[in-house]
Amino acid sequence: ATSRRAKMAASVERVVGEAPAGYTALAVKFGARQRSPHYLLVKEHQLREGAGTAHPPHRTLFVLNVPPYCTAASLTRLFSRCGDVQSVDMCDKPGPGEKEEKLKSKFFNCETVTGFRVAYVVFKKPAGVRAAKALSQEGPLLISTESHPVKTGVKKWIASYAASIVDQEELKAEVDAYMQDYDKKIEEEEAKAAKEEGVPDEEGWVKVTRRGRKPGLPRTEAANLRLLEKEKQKRARKELLNFYAWQHRETKREHIAQLRKKFEEDKQRIALMRAQRKFRPY
Amino acid sequence: MNAKPRRAAHRTVVLGGGAARRGKRAAPAEALQPAKLSRAELYKPPTNEELNRLKETEDLFHSSLLRLQIEELLKEVTLKETKKKKIDAFLHEINSLLSAIPETPETELTDQGWLPKDVKVPFLQVPFSVKGRFHFMPPTELKVVGSYLLGTCIRPEINVDMAVTMPREIFQDKDNLNQRYHRKRALYLAHIAQHLSKQQLFGSVKFAYMNSNHLKPILLLRPQGKDEKMVTVRLHACPAPEGATEPPTPHYNNSILCDTMLLSHLQFLSSAATDFPGMKDGVALLKVWLNQRQLSKGLGCFSGFMVSMLVAYLLMKRKIVKMMSGYQVLRSTLQFLATTDLSVTGISLVKDVDPSLPVLDDFQQAFEVVFVDPSGLVNLCADMTASKYHQVQFEARYSMEILDDRMVDGFQALLMTAKPMLRAFDHVFHLKHVSKLQGTCKKMQLLSELMDRGGNYVAAALPFIVSLLVRGLSGRALLVVHSLPQTPEWPIDAEPPKHKDVGPLTFGLLFYPDFAASMLEKGPQADHPEALDFRTFWGEKSELRRFQDGSIREAVVWEANTAYQKRLIPEQIVRHLLKLHADIPESSICYMGALLESVIRTGKEASGTGEEAMVSVVRAYDDLSRKLWHLKELPLMVSSVQGVHPALRYTDVFPPIPMKPIYSFHAQIKTKHMLLPSEKKPCPAYITPLKMICHMEGSGQWPQGKDAIKRIKAAFHLQLAELLQQQHQLVCRPAVTHTDVYKDGYVFRLQVAYHREPLILKEVVTPEGMLKYQDTEESRQLEVEIQHMPYVTSSLHGLQQQHPVFGSACRLAKRWVSAHLLGDNISEECVDLLVAFLFLHPAPFTPPSSPQVGFLRFLDLLATFDWKNNPLIAVHKRSKFAAARSCLPVMFIATPKDRWSSMWTQERPSAQILQRLTVLASESLHALEEQLMDPLKTQDVKMVFRPPLDFYDVLIHLNPNQIPRHLESVDQPVKSFSRGVVKNSTADKILFPVVDYDPVQCYLRELRDAFSDLALFFYDKHGGEVIAVLWKPLSFQPQPFKVSNVKGRMVTTLNDKLVCVPNVEAILEDFEVLGEGLVKSVEARTEKWTI
Repeated sequence: ATSRRAKMAASVERVVGEAPAGYTALAVKFGARQRSPHYLLVKEHQLREGAGTAHPPHRTLFVLNVPPYCTAASLTRLFSRCGDVQSVDMCDKPGPGEKEEKLKSKFFNCETVTGFRVAYVVFKKPAGVRAAKALSQEGPLLISTESHPVKTGVKKWIASYAASIVDQEELKAEVDAYMQDYDKKIEEEEAKAAKEEGVPDEEGWVKVTRRGRKPGLPRTEAANLRLLEKEKQKRARKELLNFYAWQHRETKREHIAQLRKKFEEDKQRIALMRAQRKFRPY
Repeated sequence: MNAKPRRAAHRTVVLGGGAARRGKRAAPAEALQPAKLSRAELYKPPTNEELNRLKETEDLFHSSLLRLQIEELLKEVTLKETKKKKIDAFLHEINSLLSAIPETPETELTDQGWLPKDVKVPFLQVPFSVKGRFHFMPPTELKVVGSYLLGTCIRPEINVDMAVTMPREIFQDKDNLNQRYHRKRALYLAHIAQHLSKQQLFGSVKFAYMNSNHLKPILLLRPQGKDEKMVTVRLHACPAPEGATEPPTPHYNNSILCDTMLLSHLQFLSSAATDFPGMKDGVALLKVWLNQRQLSKGLGCFSGFMVSMLVAYLLMKRKIVKMMSGYQVLRSTLQFLATTDLSVTGISLVKDVDPSLPVLDDFQQAFEVVFVDPSGLVNLCADMTASKYHQVQFEARYSMEILDDRMVDGFQALLMTAKPMLRAFDHVFHLKHVSKLQGTCKKMQLLSELMDRGGNYVAAALPFIVSLLVRGLSGRALLVVHSLPQTPEWPIDAEPPKHKDVGPLTFGLLFYPDFAASMLEKGPQADHPEALDFRTFWGEKSELRRFQDGSIREAVVWEANTAYQKRLIPEQIVRHLLKLHADIPESSICYMGALLESVIRTGKEASGTGEEAMVSVVRAYDDLSRKLWHLKELPLMVSSVQGVHPALRYTDVFPPIPMKPIYSFHAQIKTKHMLLPSEKKPCPAYITPLKMICHMEGSGQWPQGKDAIKRIKAAFHLQLAELLQQQHQLVCRPAVTHTDVYKDGYVFRLQVAYHREPLILKEVVTPEGMLKYQDTEESRQLEVEIQHMPYVTSSLHGLQQQHPVFGSACRLAKRWVSAHLLGDNISEECVDLLVAFLFLHPAPFTPPSSPQVGFLRFLDLLATFDWKNNPLIAVHKRSKFAAARSCLPVMFIATPKDRWSSMWTQERPSAQILQRLTVLASESLHALEEQLMDPLKTQDVKMVFRPPLDFYDVLIHLNPNQIPRHLESVDQPVKSFSRGVVKNSTADKILFPVVDYDPVQCYLRELRDAFSDLALFFYDKHGGEVIAVLWKPLSFQPQPFKVSNVKGRMVTTLNDKLVCVPNVEAILEDFEVLGEGLVKSVEARTEKWTI
């Protein structure tokens, strides 16, 4: 244990961490009580050609290795002293940053990323990025302070248990709203399909659907396979077995070949078991 | 607890570090490859020889595989030619030495001064004084007899029997009285021993009893040096043949006569074996068969000699012909044993009827099992008890069934699997001190038997004790067997062992599962004459009772309230009967029926092991499903309700107990009638949500989009909660994915399912517009949840109805897995299926009828099953398995509904974990069997449930007050905390309790999310106080910097290169930060991370 202490002491002195080219290492600790920091690797976010605009160049700081207890709010707080923070985006791994604006729901499809993550911190001004990089010269950043405590452990779990209890009215309202939209959409689609029913397109093709008067075979893979199977059976029924002498010969030959193959397989198994000394009864 | 709990001395195996060596057996095992034959080889014209072999296999063997297997086995057990030559040379030397032994002058039998001090007479000379004179003369004839000449002696114990014929001059008239013959025989051997022990030729010269019969000492000679283990030459002294006159009835006479017949038996057998190659193989196979069943050693065993005689008998009766192969000899002999009860109708090898010879009936009266030799004078099965023969018969019958079953690998079950008593019998108990049997002989008035057996009280009392137990347990036990008393060999300068030196006597009981636990022993009607007999048999336990049909009968009622106690009724019977009739005190009986079950019992005062709790859970569940079916005002009907929680198939390790929360202990959300855990109090008791799937009928009203279905399901959850509240006054808590219902003190978690949903999740439209179904992760999960889980649950529920101990065996197995911190690495269903396999395919055993034997076999299965080359529960062709082996999971379990994916082992366990399980299982089994077979030591069976912790890198110690399931730990914790619940099931209007809240599980989830690529986390969810952490060795190697690869690492310079290494100090502190309030301390035990 003593050697561990010594190691920890050594790591306290070494606040400025090493970083690969292009990156700056920022030491970050959970609170004042912790001894050894993690190192955030930050750099200015560079855009590849044709990527989206959610993270504008020059103003976005790309942060690697964000510890699990560090929330978007605490990142905002940490970096706000370098300049106004416009948004913080946390992801599991670096991505294109192009977010299609989905219908946000409080109850559905809300997966949170956990563990060590990457973050895109968008400042209002490019100066923020430069100021953030300069933080490496200062002492380790603290995620949880007395004025802004971050909940972990039992407190956090109790809080998330409380959050898991849903408000019934709210949920009901949301479901109802969604279903109304959905029904409307389906209705529209059906109306459109009904209008096209039996009407040939420009090249003269008529679309056959299951709603029409003569529903064709459904276009699924299973239906296709079934059809093939039927064909095969039909062909097999027509064939004569052991009718010609050569067929007879062939069957016999096949039988011996099967026996041989089985024999060969058995021999292999035995050889393997012998190698494993499986035949020692005790 | 004052003493520190003992931990099993497990060998540790480094998880990441390749294959563990398991003694000698570790062979570089490679997986099976499918056979490849070229076209030319497959279709070339067959030779005559090949055709013959193929044809022969079809006629004489079951299959070609069996034939090959038997050939291999025979190769393994038979003696090699080179060894044979050495042995022959050794025998020659012995021969010349023996004939050179000098004579001694004639002395009184009691005057043994001529024998040097360092050689003791190998015979219990009680009483010492006896008339008669003795002098040594060189043997008239030396002849090798028995299996060596017949070529049927098998490894590992090669015994060569040598008959040393004593000259007629040594004997006097009436030597057959008063053990004079036996004493002379012993003196004769002692003199030989004295001379041979001086020779350099021998590695050891020892005495032993022939088949542990104390009247028959033999001399064991082993060669010098490294050949010592190769062979044991056994010298039997026998008298010169003479016309025997007296009719053999008692055991004493039989033992004398047996000696006179040694040579003639050999002649008889060798004539049978001529021109009969199959006999040699067949006898060897039968010997292996007997050895595996522990039937071939000890007093009253079914020895190899008897096997040969039996085969000769069958040959005589033309049940076997000389054309037969070894396999067919085995089969026919088993068939004969299975159908003939030698304890009722004896058999004889006598060819011609001779009026001067005793008839079979005479034998039948004197002996329990009768098999008369060719001379018509000797009973070969004289020492065997009827119970032992019944065991042989039972084994034979069962083996025949196995051979006829195409599903079972008969070779493996019959010849390769050992059947030790502990694993073969449902209950096992030991008689600690056999000397107590002296009292039994007195009590049962067995003095004449005692005399007949030459004072061996064990042999005299054993048949009577067994028949007593058989009568007492008739109707409950299918089989009552006893171990064969065995005396060890001893050096020639030691006194011969006494009767009590046979060690503890072990009995095994095999039950009828349906009747073993019945509480009532119904006797005859009170006015019948048999009533008196019944009363004397059961003693004061028997009382008069009036039955429902109006009859008044004698009956015994046993005290038992719970299933656990009922399973132990046989123990009560055994103890009662042995005390009453055999004068054996309870303290000398060590009953091993249910020692292990304490680990699945919670609370100190609980009298049962939770079966009753499980039944009441199922009752509440049935009631709830009925209510769901009949729920009014639902837009769609409930089509089926299926439980998926282990408690609903009786395999939950600790079944839920009805509970009601104490409000003051919790925080509250008043508006929603919910309770919350409080930060200031210990964590509330863990309430398991009992999950059930509620299928709604299919209808056109269901939307066909996946998001819409999710919404509709949420709406159903809301509505179910509302309707249950309105119509049945049940307190509910709806959520998006489920609704929790509080009923009878349990919390049920309803999940609505729509049967087409997995299909909709799978839908993919190809560019050509064709609809295809493709498995996705989401659809697979949903399928498991709503189709396979309910199916497994209901079929295992069915299994429990057939085998009442299935559930408990499963729970023991799961408790063991979890105690070794591996519970999160192997799915519960997987363990359930493994145990189910033991019940469905028990060969060569019978399905377990006690949880303990089920558990022992589970450990054995884990330790010995070859996962690499075999699927479990084979329902499909093996060759297909071999072809696809590399892409199938390491542990492959196929069930009738799931033949090709092995659903429950897809992701877990990994190869390393399986390896570790195997090692742990074999160590645990070993430790446990040693303890259970040794009644003289104190039993601490919990030892195998305490995990070895020395090889983990970091231990995270937890605060007991935040562990909700702390009471479930293997060793009852000293201090327990209030958990804010009272046991109660009659609450209707309550605030909803805290459900499914376990801080340790939350913590583990966070740890695994954050550090899963750096470390593995192990925890016993049943009250473990420690989370064990193992660093992954691979991720601790310095790696070049990559954007995707910096999680929890830091960049450092190593040899002038920038590399990423795990930031261990910070991570260790993270462990504390993430588990604030739960973690007591983080103990780093190794310095492995120093890079």
